[in-house]
Amino acid sequence: MEEQDQMQSSIEVEEVEEQQREGKRLEEENVVRFLDSLDSYVTLLDSLSSTLRQGWLELASARQSMGASRINGALLDLKSHSAATSLQVTHHDDEILNQPHFTLCKWASSKNGYGDEKLRENKLQTNSDGPQLRHRSQFAEKIPETKGAPLIVDDQVQKERTKSLSMFGTLVSPKLRAAQLSFETALETLVEIANVRLTMLSTSDQVRKELEGTEG
Amino acid sequence: MYGFEALTFNVHAGYLEAIVRGHRAGLLTAADYNNLCQCETLDDIKMHLSATEYGPYLQNEPSPLHTTTIVEKCTLKLVEDYKHMLCQATEPLSTFLEYITYGHMIDNVVLIVTGTLHERDVHELLEKCHPLGMFDSIATLAVAQNMRELYRLVLVDTPLAPYFSECITSEDLDDMNIEIMRNTLYKAYLEDFYRFCRKLGGATAEIMSDLLSFEADRRAVNITINSIGTELTRDDRKKLYSNFGLLYPYGHEELAICEDIDQVRGVMEKYPPYQSIFSKLSYGESQMLDKAFYEEEVKRLCLAFEQQFHYGVFFAYMRLREQEIRNLMWISECVAQNQKSRVHDSVVFIF
Repeated sequence: MEEQDQMQSSIEVEEVEEQQREGKRLEEENVVRFLDSLDSYVTLLDSLSSTLRQGWLELASARQSMGASRINGALLDLKSHSAATSLQVTHHDDEILNQPHFTLCKWASSKNGYGDEKLRENKLQTNSDGPQLRHRSQFAEKIPETKGAPLIVDDQVQKERTKSLSMFGTLVSPKLRAAQLSFETALETLVEIANVRLTMLSTSDQVRKELEGTEG
Repeated sequence: MYGFEALTFNVHAGYLEAIVRGHRAGLLTAADYNNLCQCETLDDIKMHLSATEYGPYLQNEPSPLHTTTIVEKCTLKLVEDYKHMLCQATEPLSTFLEYITYGHMIDNVVLIVTGTLHERDVHELLEKCHPLGMFDSIATLAVAQNMRELYRLVLVDTPLAPYFSECITSEDLDDMNIEIMRNTLYKAYLEDFYRFCRKLGGATAEIMSDLLSFEADRRAVNITINSIGTELTRDDRKKLYSNFGLLYPYGHEELAICEDIDQVRGVMEKYPPYQSIFSKLSYGESQMLDKAFYEEEVKRLCLAFEQQFHYGVFFAYMRLREQEIRNLMWISECVAQNQKSRVHDSVVFIF
């Protein structure tokens, strides 16, 4: 009888210790996730800064090449037209990603019924074109799988790019096209920054709650 | 080789040739550019320019300065020099000086038409026009719906009227038509200017033929490179090339079918004067092509001053001053964007 009581209490002690270990593991996981997202955030901010600097210099170089009368703010089109690029906000309901997610829908044209394909393609591009994010541990977030759109930029996207540059003329310098690509990359980086910031704030909240719970 | 210009040139144009040679002496030197490239702010640039001929134009500008302000004020200096020479000139020098500004006139026409198509305010567009290309009825361009109206309402009374014969259609103005109009006008203008200089004869014909041929060839290369990957067909591309120059006609045939920068290089390297330009570029690269062309142009423009008694010095001075303003624009942009390491990417030294 006493032996049974002793075994029962030792099992309960083991269960409590196991729960404590599990809790500790989860806390560490959250801290690592927070540090990962913070590192990604800083890396992306640096990448955005350098991409924008490159874009502005390429624009100045294009102005130097084509002339100030061909590249200036007075030529921007004020006619109403649909946006070539839009931002979509989706909500994830799973345990890990319980937060909104931003996705860039580049060069989507409602006339072509083209938006959904581009949404998937651009999600892949947004995830693959950004700087390589370092993950300190195996507790990194899993990127949701997509249905497999091709990663190559097709003629339609090239036509949309040319169409948006046409306000400066049809025959534009390669420097202006390079500037366009730089600003496009910067836009993708901005969306990535928004997503990483959301993750960072979410994991920061979780870590703070756990710390407060521990202190309490 | 030439006519007897030495006997008669100074009667009508001696004073102005002396004036333009004096202006040439005021162009910025390598030492000036080295000082400018080390500036930390646009106010530093203004301070360095205060010791040059641009000083009086910038001294009253308040801080903070903008790069467009520096370019605008330096352009005023060019415009004043030009207007002084024009009002002192007699025929045929006055017509020659007017020809120099027709390129800016074409740019201004296209700016107004494009801006109007994009529903911009005409007053805002007029502020962006180059002062050398202004004419009285330029604001009326905003009411034209197609090229026929453009010609009938406005351009028939301007020096650009003869260049419109190939452009007049009733098609509505859109981005592609405007681009074709721009290049067709510029082609007609260059050919007309070339014919005028040949008619003048003597040293003017010799020197200006070389300078305008280089301009035509450079335009052909730029049109080719800029049209790669666009909807412009090979035939349309070939129609935009001028009918003179070193590349005419066989070089144009080959350029018309080029699909990438390496094919353009292959065509141009067959012509010895352009081998040195393309030898500075690595394969597949076109970023430094503009600078290479500008350097070659500056070399030819400086050589124009080695001879006397011709009108080429006036053209050369105007172009050198424009190059100087481009240099100042680039230096200002690099300083304003805190990218001084890239300042030598596009600065072309004149002396």
